[in-house]
Amino acid sequence: MTESSVSSQLIIIVDTNPVWWGQADTGESGQNQMSLAQCLECLMVFSNSHLMMSHRNKLAVIAAHTDKSIFLYPKKDQGGTSAINISEEADQGDGKYELFGLVNNQIKNQARELVINGGSSLLYPDTVLAGALAMALCYIHRSEKEVGPGEQLSSRVLIIKGSEDNPEQYMNLMNAVFTAQKQNIVVDACVLDNDSGLLQQACDITGGIYLKIPQVSGLLQYLLWIFLPDPTERHKLTLPPKAQVDYRAACFCHRNLIDIGYQSSIPSFVA
Amino acid sequence: MGDEDEKGYRWETEYEKTWEVIEEDDDGTIQSSVDDIIHKAKRRRLMEKLGNIRLGMMRHLFLVIDLSDAMKDQDLKPTRLASTLKLLEHFVEEYFDQNPISQLGIITTRNKRAEKVAELGGNPRRHITTLQSLVNKTCQGEPSLQNSLDLANQTLRHMPSHASREVLVVLGSLTSCDPGDISETIQLLKDNNVRCSIIGLAAEVRVCKRICQETNGKYFVILDEGHYKDLLISHVTPPPATSTTESSLIKMGFPHHSLSGDKNKGEKASMCMCHLDSKVNQGFSSSGYFCPQCKSKYCELPIECKSCGLTLVSAPHLARSYHHLFPLETFMETPVSSIPTDSAVCCFSCQIAVEDPNVYQCGRCQQLYCLDCDLFIHETLHSCPGCACSRETQESSQQFVGLT
Repeated sequence: MTESSVSSQLIIIVDTNPVWWGQADTGESGQNQMSLAQCLECLMVFSNSHLMMSHRNKLAVIAAHTDKSIFLYPKKDQGGTSAINISEEADQGDGKYELFGLVNNQIKNQARELVINGGSSLLYPDTVLAGALAMALCYIHRSEKEVGPGEQLSSRVLIIKGSEDNPEQYMNLMNAVFTAQKQNIVVDACVLDNDSGLLQQACDITGGIYLKIPQVSGLLQYLLWIFLPDPTERHKLTLPPKAQVDYRAACFCHRNLIDIGYQSSIPSFVA
Repeated sequence: MGDEDEKGYRWETEYEKTWEVIEEDDDGTIQSSVDDIIHKAKRRRLMEKLGNIRLGMMRHLFLVIDLSDAMKDQDLKPTRLASTLKLLEHFVEEYFDQNPISQLGIITTRNKRAEKVAELGGNPRRHITTLQSLVNKTCQGEPSLQNSLDLANQTLRHMPSHASREVLVVLGSLTSCDPGDISETIQLLKDNNVRCSIIGLAAEVRVCKRICQETNGKYFVILDEGHYKDLLISHVTPPPATSTTESSLIKMGFPHHSLSGDKNKGEKASMCMCHLDSKVNQGFSSSGYFCPQCKSKYCELPIECKSCGLTLVSAPHLARSYHHLFPLETFMETPVSSIPTDSAVCCFSCQIAVEDPNVYQCGRCQQLYCLDCDLFIHETLHSCPGCACSRETQESSQQFVGLT
């Protein structure tokens, strides 16, 4: 069977924007009764389930913060070869599979570090997502080079996002999305609160699922039901219908959405 | 073109002592200098890019494929034709990826005739199926350069002057059977501002060189299959716009995509304009892109509206060509030893511990990258992950907000 040589790599980009999570935690926006800690718990269960699907499956978690992006897992200094240190770092004694312990510990530690040290003086309500996505693509590019002969690695990216879009990132994000499309990487988005026009386009271009979850408290359930199966198995499932995507361009002068525009023929500007 | 003439042919120049470049290092191995050469070759393509030139973004290109006897030769495996078509498929994909609002047409030439097998169009899939269907055609007779150039010229001269007009000929044969004086055709191409480039599969031919020189094109003869591929790829990036190209504003439409299932709006299924003439059932549904001016329906973009002539594109199509306008600066090569850290140097984007002697640093965000990521970022991604991660360093993109 050729199927057995295909392993699946999942890169999760989680939005850790302090402004949005702070609001969500205090319940200011109404129904968002969820804290970052709870979200990370869901994320860990989800990533463990992904690793459990097949022992070949791989995982990376990136946190997109308000002004930077860092890898939560795998940690930098061991550069992906996590197998060596597993037994040392994992908390032993409860009979848990060591890799799960390692993954959970690293995510927890790195996230704690990020929250404690990451508090820059200025906080913004939006997140720099394009950087995280670009990092994910570089990581995938590297790991696809590293697979042995005869093996195949299919990669996808899942973005869990709550905060607002940053319109200044349009160019960078689009560059990243086109790269993903070229490399056959599916980008899925699970949106917690604000509908995101940018992510809708990203998912539509790469053939991923865009879902704004109606009930934030059911995050884990949505993750497991909709985002756990591989894209190859998705057509067998009944998934939520695709939303309509607004592809209109905005003009450079007023940023109004337009139907008919004038484009300069030499450099492309829409005016 | 001037200095190329003076340079003359390779065999007229002095004997090159290629082995003198390779030197033994302290351990007596040549590994380090071999690594160095590989390294330079990898980065060469990045270095060659020029900045700040006007590019013709809307291109109209005719591919002329030689289907003469000479294409049966087996110096490229399995045959010249099969190998050419395979590479051209890749070329077509790349072409539309890099030039999303451009058009392409295909002409074949054999038996002293030229035949247009695909009209100018913007659909990569259609062109690829056309190319695939050519595999079964038999190669016979002699090609005709003049006939194919005339045929291309007939269509290209009607194209608007703000777009570039180009012909790319893949020529396997060393001869051409022309009905008249080819100098007249060359003059005609020149008058119509058609840029003609030729890739020769066999050896240099005087007339080809002249055509390319006169029309500002490039003439190359392939060395092997790898070189062939590189030559084709070099035609993917838009050429610098000639001074005669006028810049003007082009009216474009951004259609809405409506999906099926809007039953409450009372929408009915209809036939799309692109499949109107075909006999198949494809294209009959209630979903599609609707032209904002005349409301005719299309099933894919980009396309020129058949009823009102408006160019229909989607915003991502335009966004795809932005990176030509704002190319990413090349990263600085820095030796690892000069970086003050106690642990190993890690690549910012892929987290690998760098083992090469050099790392690459972005001048704006000061992040370090490994060679693989550097190439990937410049060739495919076109935006620096480090810069995109931080608010201060992404300023440059601020003014180019497309859609929010």
